[in-house]
Amino acid sequence: MPGFLFPGRPGGEHDEPLLDMIIARRAIPPDAPQPMHDLARMLAALAGPAEPGELAGEAAVRAAFCRAASPASISAAARRPGRRRRITRSRRPARSRARLATALVVAVAGLGSVFAAYIDVLPSPIQQLAHVTVAAPPPPSSGLPRTDTTRTRPATRATDRPGQAGRGSHHSTGPAQVPGQVTPTPNYTPYPTRSPGRPTAEPSCGPSPGHSPSPRPKPSGYPSPPPWYQAAQCAGIPTGPAGQRTLNPSGPLSRTPDD
Amino acid sequence: MIGAAFSVTLTSAQRGDETAFACLFRDVQPALLRYLHVITPEAEDVAGETWLQVVKGLPGFRGGEEAFRAWLFTIARHRAVDAARSRSRRSDVPLAVTDEVTGQPMAPDAAELALEAISTRSVVALIKTLPRDHAEIIMLRVVAGLEAADVARIVGKTPGAVRVTAHRALRRLAELAERAGVTH
Repeated sequence: MPGFLFPGRPGGEHDEPLLDMIIARRAIPPDAPQPMHDLARMLAALAGPAEPGELAGEAAVRAAFCRAASPASISAAARRPGRRRRITRSRRPARSRARLATALVVAVAGLGSVFAAYIDVLPSPIQQLAHVTVAAPPPPSSGLPRTDTTRTRPATRATDRPGQAGRGSHHSTGPAQVPGQVTPTPNYTPYPTRSPGRPTAEPSCGPSPGHSPSPRPKPSGYPSPPPWYQAAQCAGIPTGPAGQRTLNPSGPLSRTPDD
Repeated sequence: MIGAAFSVTLTSAQRGDETAFACLFRDVQPALLRYLHVITPEAEDVAGETWLQVVKGLPGFRGGEEAFRAWLFTIARHRAVDAARSRSRRSDVPLAVTDEVTGQPMAPDAAELALEAISTRSVVALIKTLPRDHAEIIMLRVVAGLEAADVARIVGKTPGAVRVTAHRALRRLAELAERAGVTH
């Protein structure tokens, strides 16, 4: 607060404008006190030109400036980001190559698994999974009947060969059957076609203990199989999806009741 | 102070013109060295470190002459603080002129001061007898030519406190000079 009288500070109310003028290096009035004039001369000498020796460090500082401003330093500074760019460029394809390799491995593994599932060489649980997911053939020991694709290989399996079908081997695709009980086949249609030329029901292949002697009535939608069909079934000749067999632990291969 | 030609000089120095940079150096170096003589016993070394940092940061500096001075003296103060810290770790280096333990200024030898003519060195020696903050504010306000706001930012005070401190320091300096007979 200029002009405010501070008690207990003699002369303080008068010298503040003068002190501000001295600090601003302005000329003070001639009628100012002598100590103010002396102080102004002191500070003018303090802010005066350079004295000998004060610029002694100029050569070293100029040398440092020339080093910093030289083309070599500029090119060195310019090389640094370039080096970073090169590093970035070389890292980016490495990542891309890694991703591409991973994708290729996954694709090959997936295709190979699908192929293996379709040629039926996978373990049963995996084959079952493949059957559910990618419609591959069901595993041999599962309770699901084979589709037409599995029947396109006649006489390649022991059970498919004539004369071996009645052994009840593990190649039987039908589940253990309780007499008079329908085999549960969820999510599966055992008779995918109803064309008149293909049989959709099959009789029992000979008498078996525990099997119902009286055949159950056929559904009205399924016609009776032709006479040659029963003979072919008993001989072990593949007859398509209608020739579904079940594993009968107490006897030879038996047919699932068609319902 | 360079004045109106400062912006041209600064731009030339930023483009690598050594002559322009030398012009900046000669304009600021005396005030910088006197200021550093007040706040540190290693004024020349700290001044050299300050200019090295200025050279590094000069291409990115933007502002006028006052801003350039404020920037340079801020760097100098930081380097002086660093030098004081490293000095405090070394036990074989003597303390500065100011009694750093008590914070009280050491009384100057009046006879010695009277023997010297009025010169920059004698005035600097007299200012060093003031308390540290008083001496620094006088040097920044009078010698460096900074505004109160810039000085306040550098020393960490308010502009009002800087102004009051500067007035007190100048009164005390006038008393010391009259007693020592430096100006007579």
